[in-house]
Amino acid sequence: MLKLVTTLAGHDDMVWCVAWNPKGNLLASCGGDHSVRIWSQKGQNGEEANQWTCRAKLSDGHSRTIRWVSWSPCGKKLATASFDTTIIIWKQKNDFDFEIIANLEGHENEVKCTAWSIDGSFLASCSRDRSVWVWDVSEDEEYECSSVLTSHSQDVKHVLWNPHKNILVSSSYDNSIKMYQQDVDDWINTETLESHQSTVWSCDYNPEGTRLISCSDDKTLKLWKEDPEKKNKSSWSCYSTISGFHNRTIYSVKWSKTNNLIATASADNSIHIFKENESSDANEPTLLLLEHKENAHCQDCNCIDWNPVQNNLLASCSDDGTVKIWKFDE
Amino acid sequence: MSSKFSGIIQINDLDDFIGPGQECVKPVKLEKKPTKKAGLIQIIDETGLQEAPKPKVQKAKISLDDCLACSGCVTSAETVLINQQSTDELFKIIENNKKHIENQKFCHVKKIIVSISPQSRASLAARYNLDLETCTKKLCGFFKNYFNAEFVFDTTFSREFSLIESEREFVERFRKFQSNSSSVKLPILTSSCPGWICYAEKTHGSFILPYISTVKSPQQVMGSLVKDYLCKNIFDMTPDNIYHVSIMPCYDKKLESSRKEFYNEFHQSKDVDCVLSTIEIESLFQKENIDLSSIQDSDLDLPFSLSKNQISVKKELEKQSLLYNHEGGGSGGYLEHVLINSAKVLFDFDLSRDQIVYKQLRNTDFKEVNLEINGEVKLRFALAYGFRNIQNIVQKIKKNNCHYHYIEIMACPSGCLNGGGQIRDESTNSLSKELFEKVENIYYSVKAQILRDNIFVKSLYESDWLNNDEINLKRNLHTTYHEVEKITNGLSIKW
Repeated sequence: MLKLVTTLAGHDDMVWCVAWNPKGNLLASCGGDHSVRIWSQKGQNGEEANQWTCRAKLSDGHSRTIRWVSWSPCGKKLATASFDTTIIIWKQKNDFDFEIIANLEGHENEVKCTAWSIDGSFLASCSRDRSVWVWDVSEDEEYECSSVLTSHSQDVKHVLWNPHKNILVSSSYDNSIKMYQQDVDDWINTETLESHQSTVWSCDYNPEGTRLISCSDDKTLKLWKEDPEKKNKSSWSCYSTISGFHNRTIYSVKWSKTNNLIATASADNSIHIFKENESSDANEPTLLLLEHKENAHCQDCNCIDWNPVQNNLLASCSDDGTVKIWKFDE
Repeated sequence: MSSKFSGIIQINDLDDFIGPGQECVKPVKLEKKPTKKAGLIQIIDETGLQEAPKPKVQKAKISLDDCLACSGCVTSAETVLINQQSTDELFKIIENNKKHIENQKFCHVKKIIVSISPQSRASLAARYNLDLETCTKKLCGFFKNYFNAEFVFDTTFSREFSLIESEREFVERFRKFQSNSSSVKLPILTSSCPGWICYAEKTHGSFILPYISTVKSPQQVMGSLVKDYLCKNIFDMTPDNIYHVSIMPCYDKKLESSRKEFYNEFHQSKDVDCVLSTIEIESLFQKENIDLSSIQDSDLDLPFSLSKNQISVKKELEKQSLLYNHEGGGSGGYLEHVLINSAKVLFDFDLSRDQIVYKQLRNTDFKEVNLEINGEVKLRFALAYGFRNIQNIVQKIKKNNCHYHYIEIMACPSGCLNGGGQIRDESTNSLSKELFEKVENIYYSVKAQILRDNIFVKSLYESDWLNNDEINLKRNLHTTYHEVEKITNGLSIKW
């Protein structure tokens, strides 16, 4: 059962992205009003635990829509991607006070997404300029470009790191997913995953980092796994396509690292929750629908995120300008 | 079709969701012609109608000039370039020449001159397993027999001028900088890479341009030599009577030769008419089934050896090897030449080549070298190749955080020997490490010459062409840059 905990209003425009900090006690959201908002529970117990409040509004950084916000693994920094072509790094001074420590320029057009590597030593970004950038993060907070990857032929929508290794994954308007690894002193494209019929909007790894789920404008989800035997072309291949659940573009998919559940958000205003079918082939498990929340928002659901600690908490955001927090009980 | 331009140009390509033509934001002027009758329908018989004859719509043409003046795509520019600078276009000139000769209209015959870059020679020698000297002789034979080229020049010769001017420019700017002249900016960023220049003008505009060296690239110095010096002093003809072809390791050089700065408005003539990449020469050999090794040898020509005073030239030619090189790497050696010269001129310090020790920074394409005298750092120079390193340099300058005095910048990783127009491995269609090393070894297989030892270069500097006044020097060996205004078109925003 997916139950609404609270609806958070405050953004003056559509909300593009929600992201939990690693401790799971802060939620960041961003959107068309050029701001990031930081939300947290009013208190730990009782009724206050279900009441959420906006603790900070980070503005005066970007001049256009903020498309993405991501927390560093240490939970002290935020990276925001904006249509103003820049990326801003915000550092937490104290509880709800953030200051700008770096402004990363270089992308030609709208920056669509940012992602921190699991050890925090790299930041990846992608843009409508079709490139994926890897930035080195030094200890003294210098950000220098370590690679510009131009493997995609179109707008790159999403970047993601493997949860255990420094492997980077990007999804694009060219219908493909690409993986990259470090090679001597540069990054190289090692895998190209092709099967989607339209834009791939995002993807996520399973907790072990051995399988991948992707979502697309073709209204399907696809499950991918690595076959180390198949070393000639691409060792990753699609083993399952899940269709018929969403009837419009699926924008966001998240694979919970705590309870193995998969949540999706779509332009059809709905949220779906799946789990791997235990009775299916353990090597290629199929998905079982647990929940179909129609009209989760009254407009497109743009992004969804599992709380990394409180494993039944889910956040979503929408073109309708709201952020919602949900509780899921199987 | 995948783009052949260097990565930096492709990154700079703002929007190519749709093919050229549709996406072009340049307004196309169409001449309106009065139509006779509107909506005319002709009845032929009872069974059907025939549409009125369609008025012929003039094809919208976008010139390369339009493309270069626009901050939008380069996809259209590429299409235009392929039409304007190709072996097909060259063969059209050759065919026209034949017709004019048949019709005895000799005044319309264009003199064909080919200038070949040392990087292209090395790449072709590696491809066909020839030593550099043999390969160069075969290529000269090929250009003279198949392209009907009257002369084949080597851009190593014109590079001498680029290097000498770079040395002078640095000394001058550094002295002004030391005397706290606010109008002078350091570091100097080198200018011979057209991909980098195109990117700088389109993306960073007025902020970055004052840092860029004003020295012309070897290709364009050769352009001035051929279309200005030789035309006036040796050939006694106007520049439009010459068709100047250059063979380059880089596709972006086509963009460079098309710049307004290198176009003679009065004679409607480009300093370099047609740039062909090394790859295009290779595909021509393949297409025409040409075996390079069986072609009759011919020698390179020295632009100055065409001088009327043949005897003194011959004497000098005996001393001067036709095939030579410059120290300091496959991209021309700008950093090393400027560093050694500056050490001498500015600090009276004899720096030898083997004293130059590069310190690798973030990656192999980003290195620095300092001039240290008595433990004190006097000059800080760097090499920054490839887009990622250019990015970091530009951002450092922007944040006022760049302590270098001179930076050799090239858009391609590993520099010009790895240029986008160089021949790839047949199987993988990429330039493997092995092939790159082979090209590099061949490139270095001829002796390097010390600047100013070349008597022909010296005498040109003493001639009216360069010596007369500063204006001549500026016009013939230097150039200017201009900011390309960004087009902000609401319709082009996509997410």
